[in-house]
Amino acid sequence: MIDLQVLTQAVGDLDEKAILTMVKDFVATNPSGEDAQKVVFACQQGMAIVGDLFEKNEYYVGDLIFAGELLSQTIDLLKPVLSSVVTQKVGSIVIGTVEGDLHDIGKNIFGSMAEAAGFEVYDLGIDVSPGAFVEKVKEVKPQIIGMSGVLTLAIDPMKNTVKALNEAGLRDSVKIIIGGNPVNADACKQIGADAFTTNAAEGLKTCQGWVK
Amino acid sequence: MMDAVAMTNERNQMFRDLFSGKTPQRVPISNPATQDFAIQYAGLDLAECQWDLTKLEQVYNKFCQDFFTDTYPGGSIRIPSHYQILGSTCIVMSSSGFMQHPEVVGLLAEEYDQFIASPYDCLVETILPRLYTELNGSPAKVAMALAKAMRAKSDDLAYLGTIQAKMNAKYGYATMVRALTEAPFDFLADFLRSFKGISGDVRRCPDKVAAACEAVLPLMIKKGTLPNSSMLGATFIPLHMAPYLRDKDFATLYWPTFKKLVETLVGMGQKVELFVEQDWMRYLDYLYELPENTIMRFEYGDAKLVKEKLGKKHIISGFYPVTLLQTGSKQQCVDKAKELLDILAPGGKYWWQADKSIINLDVNGPVVENLRAVLDYVHENGSY
Amino acid sequence: MLGGEDKMDSKYYITWEEYLADHPELERKSKQAIEPKIQKYEDIMFTFIMDLVL
Repeated sequence: MIDLQVLTQAVGDLDEKAILTMVKDFVATNPSGEDAQKVVFACQQGMAIVGDLFEKNEYYVGDLIFAGELLSQTIDLLKPVLSSVVTQKVGSIVIGTVEGDLHDIGKNIFGSMAEAAGFEVYDLGIDVSPGAFVEKVKEVKPQIIGMSGVLTLAIDPMKNTVKALNEAGLRDSVKIIIGGNPVNADACKQIGADAFTTNAAEGLKTCQGWVK
Repeated sequence: MMDAVAMTNERNQMFRDLFSGKTPQRVPISNPATQDFAIQYAGLDLAECQWDLTKLEQVYNKFCQDFFTDTYPGGSIRIPSHYQILGSTCIVMSSSGFMQHPEVVGLLAEEYDQFIASPYDCLVETILPRLYTELNGSPAKVAMALAKAMRAKSDDLAYLGTIQAKMNAKYGYATMVRALTEAPFDFLADFLRSFKGISGDVRRCPDKVAAACEAVLPLMIKKGTLPNSSMLGATFIPLHMAPYLRDKDFATLYWPTFKKLVETLVGMGQKVELFVEQDWMRYLDYLYELPENTIMRFEYGDAKLVKEKLGKKHIISGFYPVTLLQTGSKQQCVDKAKELLDILAPGGKYWWQADKSIINLDVNGPVVENLRAVLDYVHENGSY
Repeated sequence: MLGGEDKMDSKYYITWEEYLADHPELERKSKQAIEPKIQKYEDIMFTFIMDLVL
């Protein structure tokens, strides 16, 4: 049986070879869905270590991106043995880069960390219109919306998206977090979001606080 | 009222003083708003004006008239025509008309050795056909596309150059030339390996990353060379990836070839202007090591600390937060300008620029009024 | 001379010396008039190509 503590530490260390070897060996034993779920949980705990090291300035954004890639490789390996288990999600989030902006790195980091933390993540992609956010919220009824933007211009479309949610009567049903280079407390207030962040790990903590 | 030629001479002298480490007569100013902003300020359609450049003369006239600046406020411009003709996937226009750079992969991880052996050959043969659909196909098709695109870009640049010359003649701006290049690591990251790709490479194959940076250095030097090193102007190097790296990766992979790039350009008698993107406060000791009077425009960080650590050796710029123009009152915006002026101006070696460019304009918002107030304040209060 | 080109070593960037070696017919023509022109377009092409990935 796989040593879950060793796996968690390997994820925290971003030791790609060790992680893949352990998980491949584990899958080869034809494990039960429940055991596979434990492996996923161990990886999630490893991602929490990554988040902590990021906050301590030992890891930086490049490391978070690499961590996201490692995690999705791991989940892909586990998928065949996980299929029999219904996974319990801690909450759901709709994310997207706002209209006029094509940058998706920050959004993708946040998305993979949120997924790793057990959220159901609906990613609308880039250059997302206010209408597209509204439609998705109607469809999947998430608890949280995450809007991302890098350009200084991103603040206006964020404001427009909140306005559109208000007009559709959906604003009070969701929490809204904004992320990206131009956001700060003043911008957050002006946009009408509930929280802002320039740091994916911190943003995730905010979201976790909301679904507790 | 001084005539425009005299104003150009005076402003050129200001920049000559600044670049050589002398205190100029006042703090030189560059308007952070760009052509995109100017088009919206004129009430015109952003996408249309970038295709039909004939509308831009009136755009610039109004823009130059209404906002104080010592340098032509054109910013760095990506003209859509040649990108369209080449089938660009790496520079595209968004729904609102802004030209942007999505995450793309021009070079695959398994192609490092080919790139290291001959970076320019690899660019032409492998990378460009992947990033530009019209450069992928029969030689005749590629040749036609390239010829059309070169002609389109050359026409557009000539037209924009004419507008710039007219504005310089009318408003007496400093006449500076610019070359653009990148740190080898950033070049490798931005269009070749992508943010995600390079983040993996740094851990999986650091030796190849280092070798690729070395291999591409001569190209980056050549790209950053001014037509004539005695011209007033600078090589502009926007810095990108360093804040996202661990210190040890920065020290071994980013810094060595970047330092060589700057030293070589300065050794050729040129000025170098860095756009120090994001937060570089943990790298200030490195920046100190660069040749004297390197121009450093900062985005985030502690202006006081920068002045203290770098201000005697280098020329400091940036820091003014453009987001404040959108969220603050006029008084708050002016107070911020005063605060930075008090910190950065003493002893000279300060060029007023904002922390980043302003590309969008909400016509009902406060940006126009606030920006004008800030530019006027610095103009009136920046004398030495 | 522009920096770095000596080390470029590419089949798509030809220095004047390399060009002349391939075109001996130019040896007896006015090289001082031809060289800057040939070199100029070599450099314009280089800048165009590099700007596509900057």
